Amino acid sequence: MSASDRLPLWLKSLNTAGLGIWLFVAMFPFLWMFLISFRLPVDAFSVPPQLFAPFTLRNFYGVWVTDGFWRYAVNTGVVTVFSVVISLAIACPAAYALSRYRGSLGFWLLVAALIFRAMPHVVLLTAYRPAFFSLGIWSRYETLIIVLTAINQPFTIWMMRSFFMNIPKELDEAALIDGCSRFQAFRLAIMPVMWPGVVTAALFAFLLSYNDFLISSQLMNGEMQTMTAALGNYMGQAKHLDKLMLGIAGAVSVTIPVIILIYLFQKQIVAGMTAGAVKG
Amino acid sequence: MRTGTFLGFVAPSVLSMLLLIAVPLVGVVYLALYQSHVKTEMVEVRTKVPLFGGLSRDQVSYVPQAVLDEDGRPIRVWDYVGMQNLAKASEIDELGRILTKPRDEASLPDMIDSMYRDITNLDFWSAFEFTMIYVVATTPLMLAVGFLLALAVNRATEQLKGSLIFVSLLPMIVTPVVSSLAVYWLFLDNAIVATVLRELGLGRIYFLKDAVTIRILIIAYGVWYAAPFAFIILYAGLQTVPKESLEAARVDGATRWQAIRLVTIPHLMPLFAVVVLIHLMDAYRVFEPILVFNSRVFASSLQYLVYIAMSFEDNIHRAAAYAVLTVIGIVILLTPVLISTWREQRSTP
Repeated sequence: MSASDRLPLWLKSLNTAGLGIWLFVAMFPFLWMFLISFRLPVDAFSVPPQLFAPFTLRNFYGVWVTDGFWRYAVNTGVVTVFSVVISLAIACPAAYALSRYRGSLGFWLLVAALIFRAMPHVVLLTAYRPAFFSLGIWSRYETLIIVLTAINQPFTIWMMRSFFMNIPKELDEAALIDGCSRFQAFRLAIMPVMWPGVVTAALFAFLLSYNDFLISSQLMNGEMQTMTAALGNYMGQAKHLDKLMLGIAGAVSVTIPVIILIYLFQKQIVAGMTAGAVKG
Repeated sequence: MRTGTFLGFVAPSVLSMLLLIAVPLVGVVYLALYQSHVKTEMVEVRTKVPLFGGLSRDQVSYVPQAVLDEDGRPIRVWDYVGMQNLAKASEIDELGRILTKPRDEASLPDMIDSMYRDITNLDFWSAFEFTMIYVVATTPLMLAVGFLLALAVNRATEQLKGSLIFVSLLPMIVTPVVSSLAVYWLFLDNAIVATVLRELGLGRIYFLKDAVTIRILIIAYGVWYAAPFAFIILYAGLQTVPKESLEAARVDGATRWQAIRLVTIPHLMPLFAVVVLIHLMDAYRVFEPILVFNSRVFASSLQYLVYIAMSFEDNIHRAAAYAVLTVIGIVILLTPVLISTWREQRSTP
């Protein structure tokens, strides 16, 4: 910005104040949740609220060891890893083809994907329920992995397509001239330069699977639940403070990996969000 | 790329979407047009009833029992019922009765008010009402907050920008169930917000037990959750606003606000459209805060309504009928936006 465009003092203070308020509002629910998860129930909901209170790991011990949260964490690990890998494996070639194909079929496929993306998940769930019951594939890793993979597809192919669009066409055309087949050109010429895009798409595929509550909580039951879905066990416990505290510790446990991920991959997340929108 | 090759490349992805998104959509329509029940038959059950002295008497009774197939699973009977489920789910009859009911309120606004209250007492229409309120209220608010944030962060010092973006991503990226819970726990009757407000002498506010406060809370949550998305997109857009046009506007005597209104906003228009489109889709399926805040009585949503019919009432046909109505709703909501983006796509080669 040029020197003539300095903000006057009042506007500058307003700007700073506004940002300060936003920082507080954006962080406070999480900060407070972290803070009280290390407290005894009496201290967590004391009147008046305290900033400092005795520290305890009781809630975490209760949820991870006594309530067996580790089992749900394992389930989450299995489901997210496989759904991310399969999602990308099938979305990569599709997105590549969509970025190179000029026919109207590609346009219609993208529109269909956009409409699929808009479908409330509970609509699909209503159909899965009787179908999966009669097929006898209820509450199994494979089922949830495949469902999450399919539901990730519309978003993932849209995002990856815009990454592939940025890779010059000359690259694969040169490979084709050198005698590669389309698939070889894709694998040998394009994929090596696509890794930043793949990492970003993997992050979003991970978040979609990891953050899913509705589908996971309905398709898996008992010991097969994922971590996020298991939080449902602690909902509506406002009257039983002990149980409520376990829920808070569980929620904090679910949040930590996400926060680490945002910290490590902030640039990629921003790039992924803006890829489709800004570059068109 | 030839069409054959194209089809080969997209096949796995398209197949997965067909199988697990398109087919289930058709399945839901099918479920909505049918009723099913487990086939039962009356089975004769003989029990020996002891009398006295070691004597007993056979008692015969008939009880309904599920008929099993060869695999030992109960047989379900499917009956085609046409629009019956849909009519019941959309509460057409009740709606007609409410609209034609003679009302003795004095003034027209009073009449409309009482009619509106009757309509929003119906399951489907109350869910529809709050879903629409949520969509309509959060869209402009998240745009405004996101845009202001983008302008503000653009003016912040370079070292601060990274941390500002990091914190802004939290509400949007942290698991929605968790962020709903985190907000919910702040507003419990014995939790920090209510306690602090009472200490400040503002009286006791039961946020979660009043229709007005819980609705405001859910909408505020929706803005808090969605604004970061608008912020990130618009902030990226701000970096592409040509500095020369802004400076030219300022030199020509435009105020700061006029420069934003006449240069920045028109430049960002396509991005506003994208943000609105994506937010409409996401807001329409609002679910987590309704579930977590347990606000069904005061504020329900379409996705929550289907969820309840499916998982608690275990009525798959009713759930399917609600689901069909929900899909019709999203199609109506998105059609104008899709058509206008399609026109734009065609006009700008």
